[in-house]
Amino acid sequence: MKKLPFQKRTLALIAVLVPLLALFVYVALRSGPLAPVSVVLATIENKSLSPALFGIGTIEARYTYKIGPTVAGRVKRLNVHVGDRVKAGQVLGEMDPVDLYDHIRAQDATLKQADAQLNEAQVRRDYAQTQALRYEQLLQARSTSEEVVATKQHDLLVAKAGLTAAREERSRVRAEREALGAQRSNLSLIAPVDGLVVSRDAEPGTTVVAGQAVVELIDPNTLWVNVRFDQIRAQGLAPSLSAQISLRSQAGEQKAGRVLRVEPLADAVTEETLAKVVFDQIPDPLPPVGELVEVTVTLPTLGATPIAPNAAIHNIDGNLGVWQVTNGALHFIPVSLGIADLEGRVQIREGLQVGDQVVAYSENTLNEHSRIHVVDHIPGVTP
Amino acid sequence: MTAKGIRIQGLKKRYGSGDTAVDALKAVDMHVAPGEVVGLIGPSGSGKSTLLKCLGAVIEPTAGKMILGDDVIYDDGWKVKDLRALRRDRIGFVFQAPYLIPFLDVTDNVALLPMLAGMPNAGARKRAIELFKALDVEHRAKAMPSQLSGGEQQRVAIARGLVNRPPVILADEPTAPLDSERALAVIRILNDMAKKFETAIIVVTHDEKIIPTFKRIYNIRDGVTYEEEGEGRSFE
Amino acid sequence: MISLAGRDIMHSWGKFVFTGMGLGLLIGITLSMAGIYRGMVDDAKVLLDNSGADLWVVQKDTLGPYAESSSLYDDLWRGIRGMGGVEQAANITYLTMQVGKQEGDVRAMVTGITPGGPGTPGWPPHLVAGRQMTRSHYEAVADIASGFKLGDRIQIRRTQYTVVGLTRRMVSSNGDPMVFIPLKDAQEAQFLKDNDAIRGQRRRTAENPAFNRPDVPGLFDAVIASQTTNPYVNAVLVQVEAGHDPEEVAESIRRWKRLTVYTRSQMEEILVGKLIATSARQIFMFLVILSIVSSAIVAFIIYTLTLGKIREIAVLKLIGTRNRTIVGLIMQQSIALGLIGFVVGKISATLLMAPIFPKYVLLQPLDSVMGFMAVVMICVLSSIIAIRAALRVDPAEAIGG
Repeated sequence: MKKLPFQKRTLALIAVLVPLLALFVYVALRSGPLAPVSVVLATIENKSLSPALFGIGTIEARYTYKIGPTVAGRVKRLNVHVGDRVKAGQVLGEMDPVDLYDHIRAQDATLKQADAQLNEAQVRRDYAQTQALRYEQLLQARSTSEEVVATKQHDLLVAKAGLTAAREERSRVRAEREALGAQRSNLSLIAPVDGLVVSRDAEPGTTVVAGQAVVELIDPNTLWVNVRFDQIRAQGLAPSLSAQISLRSQAGEQKAGRVLRVEPLADAVTEETLAKVVFDQIPDPLPPVGELVEVTVTLPTLGATPIAPNAAIHNIDGNLGVWQVTNGALHFIPVSLGIADLEGRVQIREGLQVGDQVVAYSENTLNEHSRIHVVDHIPGVTP
Repeated sequence: MTAKGIRIQGLKKRYGSGDTAVDALKAVDMHVAPGEVVGLIGPSGSGKSTLLKCLGAVIEPTAGKMILGDDVIYDDGWKVKDLRALRRDRIGFVFQAPYLIPFLDVTDNVALLPMLAGMPNAGARKRAIELFKALDVEHRAKAMPSQLSGGEQQRVAIARGLVNRPPVILADEPTAPLDSERALAVIRILNDMAKKFETAIIVVTHDEKIIPTFKRIYNIRDGVTYEEEGEGRSFE
Repeated sequence: MISLAGRDIMHSWGKFVFTGMGLGLLIGITLSMAGIYRGMVDDAKVLLDNSGADLWVVQKDTLGPYAESSSLYDDLWRGIRGMGGVEQAANITYLTMQVGKQEGDVRAMVTGITPGGPGTPGWPPHLVAGRQMTRSHYEAVADIASGFKLGDRIQIRRTQYTVVGLTRRMVSSNGDPMVFIPLKDAQEAQFLKDNDAIRGQRRRTAENPAFNRPDVPGLFDAVIASQTTNPYVNAVLVQVEAGHDPEEVAESIRRWKRLTVYTRSQMEEILVGKLIATSARQIFMFLVILSIVSSAIVAFIIYTLTLGKIREIAVLKLIGTRNRTIVGLIMQQSIALGLIGFVVGKISATLLMAPIFPKYVLLQPLDSVMGFMAVVMICVLSSIIAIRAALRVDPAEAIGG
């Protein structure tokens, strides 16, 4: 009976100290460098692979027409606004003729002056001709000297040359007059094709130089996407491959399209391959030119082939390979890889068989001497 | 352990030196035979505790002679090298309060002394239990000191004083906190133990309840002891 | 002979264990401090290990890319790639910034990695979930320390990225989690300002007659385009061919390319020696202070326990206990207290403090062993004060006045 109080105390003390020591031993063995590394395994499976290429691009118009005057002038009137649809031949606006009409009148006057000068030259030639003939007759009648006849013939030649000069002068003036006339018709800015007005670059009253665009048109039916692919990831890009286009403003919605062409000139600075992708059907409402899009080009599906997750691929001392687990032992096996898809699956061409187990995820970097402990998911990561 | 008891001759103790010297003990003569229980009585300041400390080999006297059994332990200088062993083996102490070690059970409290002397644990405990039987506290052998009544604790303390079978036991006011019935019980026990183990017991006290029980009394005044006849009353 | 210390402890074990636990928490903090320091050094090492590089090529005369900002043209890697002994060379950018989630944001080191495959320098060497990046834009691999999960949409500047893979222990030398994104996106993030600033810049350029000339159409657009591209990266990571000495390859790059190149050991020196040196000193100071405090507390506790027993000690001395035994009693108690404290401290450091502390706490077995020896020594030394008090006790005090 008297023994009980003592033993109860001992028991209580043991009840506290033993779990404490057990915990201590557990902590010493399970944490720190003595602990094994948790890994998650994956099995090499035979699956078909749908590789794809991913790039981003911008919506561009295939053809952009910049309508402007051919001489410097002032914009008088614009008939269209941004967003208007126009037909070929439609008058988009007009330039201010300024002094064009005065030039035309001046040129008309010069033309008349040229006409008059032509008449005068003609009259002179007629006269010279008559004189030359008369003096030739007089020479035959020995009423005049040969010198006089020569002079009159000379005059005739001069008059003929003068007529030619006046005639050509008149052609020149006429041509200049026609040029001014053409310019007057050029005062109208005409739409060359059916299209959509995308910008008004100069408002009425603005003075523009020759060649400066006043109105810009695009053909909305020729919107395409200018896509850039990293050169490393552009293997297999070819025309007529089908593509999924996702606009930045409509993330999640895919539109169908196809690759029109791969640009022969790549971007050497950014190391990207360029390509043009067109929509199968132009989206309605029209996506703005310049909007960012994401394009996924689907490559031909690969038949069933051994595939591994790309998280299992490691590069050790220059060799690409995987950590294979056979009977609990860890080995690094170099592999040769093939095509990869966008979901992280990569084809194994050599080095592994279907059914082999490899390390997909590990808590720490592995080496040949690591002790591993297979788990379903790495602690700390919610599944 | 001899049958000669304790004998003290001309013990002196001086504290300090020169002008400030104090002679706590001037001339102390005592002898106690084995089996005898004598009282040591004196007012405070009389040198009572100094004498006890000298007897207990706790402080060193200035001059005189102390003989324990057959051995001279002091003759104008300690004649024994290991005072601690002397206290442990040849002098027993019983104090005013039991002063039991609170974290040892009463058996181990008593058995500690023989263990310190080198006795194996089992034998030491057996001896402690024998003493408990003699003191009628055997039924409390496994208890902790705090679980015992005052009287039981005092008896355990007496057992501790006796356990090494010392030739002399110094009891310092052993009955001070007790009522008359218990006080007489303690004195009776001391007398019984003294006879049984042939121990000389010196009881320092001023307890009027037990003074009449002594056959011999030493009165100490101003550092000098005077032997007196006691009443020798029986313990009722 | 029985163990006096053992009996005393058993008698008041509750007080002992309770005190030991309190001391244990203090020791746990001390061990955690050492662990924090080791964690910081490990952060730096892990950063260097995970980059998969043997050499770091940075802007001339800078300590970059981690200790100082460094800027290189992004086509320099081509020249380096062609040099002898170079197996691979890849651009990389680092920017520590806030990365947004739905609710709130997280401080992370956004790392731009060159497109390629696993094994390209800069790519995370191993994952704990998900997959490596396959698309050239808008995908991210994040460290679990950031709190992101697979499939989360995170915001970096104006673009959203989908988290496709998770890593563990990929952190900057500060302990900030790393978020890997494609290099071009990272270059844009590093350089691109907010829309208001861009509009302001366009306006200023438009008002500049040197750049906005009506008779040279296209000049203005070309200038704007050049202002919004970022041809810079922070470093080029180089892997050295097997069999070549990294220092030799580094020296040839330094000489012919006139850039600053650091080998692995030099980078470690920079990170550990310069970057975390201040923090290391602070932690060391804390360690010393905590050790002193622990010593003081142990000394105080043991002294109090001893004083509480002073009567018993006097009695023990009187009845003939050797000084040695009494000293042993006190010292054994002190060491027992230290043992309990150490056990509690080690457990609390590993199971409580290490997981919840925001930085990585690395508790090494060697530190625990040294800590244990330090605790024992502290207990022994701290008990000296109590021992002196005990030895000074006059056994005569047991005999009353």
